[in-house]
Amino acid sequence: MTDSGESKTPKTPAPLKSSQEIEAEAAEKRFALEQERNQRIIRSITPFISIAIAMLVSSVFIVATGGNPVEAFSALFQGAFGSQRAIGETLLRSTPLVFTGLGLAYGFRSGLFNIGAEGQLFLGGLAAAWVGLLVGGLSWMISIPLILLAAAFAGAAWAFIPALMKARIGANEVITTMMFSYIGRYIVSWAVTGPLADKGGIPQTPQLPGNAVLPRLNLIFPFLKPTRAHAGILVALIAVVIVWFLLKHTVLGFEARSVGFNPFASQAGGISVSSTIIKSLCISGAFAGLAGAVEVMGVYGRLFDQFSSGFGFTGIAVALLAKNNPWGVLAAALLFGALDAGAGTMQLEANVSQKVILIIQGVIIFMIGAESIVTWGFERFAPKKVVAS
Amino acid sequence: MSLLGQILTPDLFAAAIRLATPIALAAMGAAIGERSGVVNIALEGIMLSSAFFGTVVAIFTHSAWLGVVGGVLAALVFTSLHAWAAINLQADQIVSGTAINILAAGVTGFLMEAIFGHPGTTDPIPTIPSVFDFPTGGTGFFGTLWTWIDTIFFSYTPLVYFGIFCAIFLTWALFRTRWGLRLRALGEHPRAADTVGISVLRGRWVAVLISGAMAGLGGANLALEQVGGFTEGMTNGRGFIALAAMIFGRWIPGGGYLASLLFGFADALQIKLQIFSDIIRIPPQFFLMLPYLLTVIVLAGVVGKARAPAADGKPYKAKG
Repeated sequence: MTDSGESKTPKTPAPLKSSQEIEAEAAEKRFALEQERNQRIIRSITPFISIAIAMLVSSVFIVATGGNPVEAFSALFQGAFGSQRAIGETLLRSTPLVFTGLGLAYGFRSGLFNIGAEGQLFLGGLAAAWVGLLVGGLSWMISIPLILLAAAFAGAAWAFIPALMKARIGANEVITTMMFSYIGRYIVSWAVTGPLADKGGIPQTPQLPGNAVLPRLNLIFPFLKPTRAHAGILVALIAVVIVWFLLKHTVLGFEARSVGFNPFASQAGGISVSSTIIKSLCISGAFAGLAGAVEVMGVYGRLFDQFSSGFGFTGIAVALLAKNNPWGVLAAALLFGALDAGAGTMQLEANVSQKVILIIQGVIIFMIGAESIVTWGFERFAPKKVVAS
Repeated sequence: MSLLGQILTPDLFAAAIRLATPIALAAMGAAIGERSGVVNIALEGIMLSSAFFGTVVAIFTHSAWLGVVGGVLAALVFTSLHAWAAINLQADQIVSGTAINILAAGVTGFLMEAIFGHPGTTDPIPTIPSVFDFPTGGTGFFGTLWTWIDTIFFSYTPLVYFGIFCAIFLTWALFRTRWGLRLRALGEHPRAADTVGISVLRGRWVAVLISGAMAGLGGANLALEQVGGFTEGMTNGRGFIALAAMIFGRWIPGGGYLASLLFGFADALQIKLQIFSDIIRIPPQFFLMLPYLLTVIVLAGVVGKARAPAADGKPYKAKG
């Protein structure tokens, strides 16, 4: 670290400071800078510490119920990465999480907590199934983008009323998006038993036509072994780039970040806070809607009642762990996708309930939310450095 | 009897009050918490944990009342995590609340399988009986009148009456006692309260623990008085609806209770209407979404006019 303090002349010339005073001031400045650097380092390793503590807490639960955490986690690892099939499963589970994670992250950047991403996901799935059943005969180059657009639009539309309520009257989006999420699930449940129901009484839509389905990865890349992983992960990669570009290089993204950082200053600086809130929450919803689309188009080829296993909620953990960075979202989505994919193997081989994944998620969110836990832990337990002055 | 006569029976109103109780208990607690400046988005998870641990204790001790105690204790453990993060560590209260919600879903689901060997629902347990058991009214005008009075006033379990008591007591405590005045000061201007010697830390902890205990009672009411057992995710958004009820009740405990009655009535009505879905010809899903839809409508109509405590949700860092 450079000693910038000593080379500067004091701003007030008289009375002249003694050399000891200057020395002390410089030391103080050095100390402050060092503290700031330490804080930054601690912050950047918080995600890893969070993961470690989450594993520790879940191990306590596993041991307390008579399980073996080492056995459990190695089974989980096997189930997530142990074979090409397992890796394919991990990619499959990660795909919707990239979308919901991006949506949540974009919301967080704008200061919005889109806790109801699950509902937008359901509506996205519904739109994908509905449009998918109508596009028979079109070339896949038209039908696939068309379905994805419809799903994104449906997700955005489902976020629009909460967004409007937030922007106009300040209604807490945590409550409104959550309520819309319950309503959305009932709409899907009605659609698959009513207007879009398949013959046969099972609550699901008919199978989508071939040009509405995302192909498996091994059909695109013939050197891969057949797995369930599908082209949705490629769409997810494009989405990461889009969100990164939006946030970093567009006025839209700048305004979103600015409002998230300080709405009052933004308003004073000429940004319309309410229209930014509406745009941001709708963009957030659009990505959640895409998550629903890739599940319908890539995994099941149809829509049914319970087609999402809480990807909207896991998206919260993904975005927070990624510190709302789009590339970080990709990494965090792979982590949670791997946990999800390995959980089944863990349950079968180590006899540990899959629900342990939720405990891990909860602890990680808690740790990130209370970031100062880590700082607090460092202050309390790390050996104190003696500062020379 | 006409269809309307079949729907508007005394037990519809009694059901409304019963179904409002878990929401009302949580909403009144939340009002206390937010008046002190701490948002508790974790109500959903706290209620769920209380419902689960309450059921577990009730099953193993064969005492529903010990179940209520166990449920509230579990609720306090989860609440303490939120309080520690929100008050001591100045965490983002929405994030830590969400963490508690997910954690509670995980812990209850995990222990459900560990203890009972299967996911889903526990075996049914006997519910706590109603406080009064008067003979039913006979026929004729006075008989019918007595049936209405008996059903609407004397048909409830203990925690339902406790909820009504809280609506009055907590409102009084918040606005007519020194404790209440100090608590509200913490939520409006913690710096000023700190300056005159009120401990922000202790005051907020007490308020958040009260809010957790009330949500815990709500969960216990749901599992031990209404359902008689635990089902994963059985709170089904009631914690979030309670927050809406608290806002609709303008951060006044009694107001929160009255607002909850609205949601209780919507829930009672949708259950009743489902019985008649053959006649009314509306898919059941549209009845099921009624309470959630009502929440949104209520928020849309009310939020702009109601004012939250000035320091609500803002962490307070004492200048040391």
